[in-house]
Amino acid sequence: MRAMDALKSTNRGAMALLAVFLCMAAFPSLIAPYGPSERSMPYQAPGPEHILGTTNMGNDILSELIYGARISLLVGFASALLATGIGLAVGLTAGYFRGALDEVLMAFTDVVLIIPKIPLIIILAAFLRPGVGILILVLGALSWESIARVVRSKTLQVRETGFVMSARCMGFPPLRIMASDIVPNIIHVVLPKFMLATAAAMISEASLSFLGLGDPSMESWGAMVSSAFTKGGFIREMWWWYLPPGICITLCVLSVAAIGFAFEEGEGTTVRVE
Amino acid sequence: MCAIIAINFALPRLMPGDPVMNLIGEDAMVTPAQLAEIRAKIGLDRPVTVQFVSCLGDLLCGDLGYSFHLHGPVAGILWSRMSWTLLFAGTAIVLGALIGIIAGALSGWKPETRRSRAVTCAAMAVSCTPPYFLAMLFLAFFAFRLGLFPAKGYYDVLTAGSVVHHLLLPVAVLTLFAASRNLLVMRGSVVQEKNSHYALYARAKGLFGRQILFRHLLRNASLPVITLVALDFGFIFSGALFIEIVFSLNGMGTLIYDAILARDYPLLQGAFLVIALLVVTANIIADLLYGALDPRVREGGV
Repeated sequence: MRAMDALKSTNRGAMALLAVFLCMAAFPSLIAPYGPSERSMPYQAPGPEHILGTTNMGNDILSELIYGARISLLVGFASALLATGIGLAVGLTAGYFRGALDEVLMAFTDVVLIIPKIPLIIILAAFLRPGVGILILVLGALSWESIARVVRSKTLQVRETGFVMSARCMGFPPLRIMASDIVPNIIHVVLPKFMLATAAAMISEASLSFLGLGDPSMESWGAMVSSAFTKGGFIREMWWWYLPPGICITLCVLSVAAIGFAFEEGEGTTVRVE
Repeated sequence: MCAIIAINFALPRLMPGDPVMNLIGEDAMVTPAQLAEIRAKIGLDRPVTVQFVSCLGDLLCGDLGYSFHLHGPVAGILWSRMSWTLLFAGTAIVLGALIGIIAGALSGWKPETRRSRAVTCAAMAVSCTPPYFLAMLFLAFFAFRLGLFPAKGYYDVLTAGSVVHHLLLPVAVLTLFAASRNLLVMRGSVVQEKNSHYALYARAKGLFGRQILFRHLLRNASLPVITLVALDFGFIFSGALFIEIVFSLNGMGTLIYDAILARDYPLLQGAFLVIALLVVTANIIADLLYGALDPRVREGGV
């Protein structure tokens, strides 16, 4: 019982943290003390005017931090959504129809599983020229395979149940059965995977923008760490420059992943109770 | 593997703009006549199928193309840089797997105690941190503040002591990173396995807690970790690339970083191909190891 309480409290903490980041992403102009293009003296230490100092371009670091939440969360959730969509489609098709189609799809999934993601993303991003849309597409198109596997194995179970059998006897088309009978029964395994995919995508986004492959028009957290690293903030020990964005990445990913894990563990207990 | 080669073949040809211009880069000035000459030399004026066959032939001979920025064949450049990265990443992967398995087993054995909860939370936090940020923290703290370790390079003079001294910090970061991921999986695996019948039987036989864990559970519970280590190989390897950049180690990571900045596409593709090859090899090794550890797989019964 104590373990359950602890789980709930960490879950609540993660939710609260995520809510803060969502607010930052939704209304940056209300929270941030300066606009994204306002400039002042560069390389300032933290002070009353600039709580976290300024960058080499004279931008206020706190404001940049708040505006950076948007791109991180957008890339994370959008690409996870795409990945979940592809994963659901592939997993459902393979699990429901079985046979040769299943074999082909799963072989393809294994290939995607084995391809090293980050190097491929680096190449693709380098070739395709950075941009938020491209980033979301690439990250989404490369991270669906674990979702597809889970969905398939769950679909294999659900398709043998009575209500799916009777729906098939009544002559409903496969698409209809998948949408109204199977998906509602597997959504609880997809949800934690969705959160974990979001967390992974946010880390990938941060890594890519650290390499300078993010969207050049938007200053994300990874890009902030990168510019602190390449433009002298790190060597001069200007911790107020590189520490906050890095901590923000970690906390944001952690909150999303913690919610995902909590879903997963909650799922585990209900199954055992049944 | 075939898919990877195909991607590598297709990418530069799908790019907007002239592939030859992409190959040479934007900083070189060429006349149209030179352009046509280079195009004929690379064979871009031939039909696509012929190009693909000759591309495969080159790959089989270990020819990965030519880097116009570093003025050398890609294979040679990669080979000279890769050995360091492999040394550094390999050490961290092995250490990370060992630490992850043992620490994960202990924290999964008694998941309610405060210590194993703390370890699990720490592992989650580490696994959610981008590797380069972790590396920067370590570098700032141990090298800049405390001055215990040198901040960059593989060695001052080429002796074992100097290399170890330089590599200790990056290997520690990467090990921590790999261990945290393995730990989480191992913990879950032990939590599941310890409720099984053979664990109960071992207890009935009169074995004590830790004995059951290390003699009976460890072998079964580490199976998913082995799969994870193999699948994670590419992930950890990419982590190594970032850590190299932060520690200014002259390996694959810095090579790829420079290649990105210079838009050196042949080099990037070669690097990707080599990494993919490594990952596939790691997975084959894991499959063999899996068979050695689990007789059910060896006999092909499952």
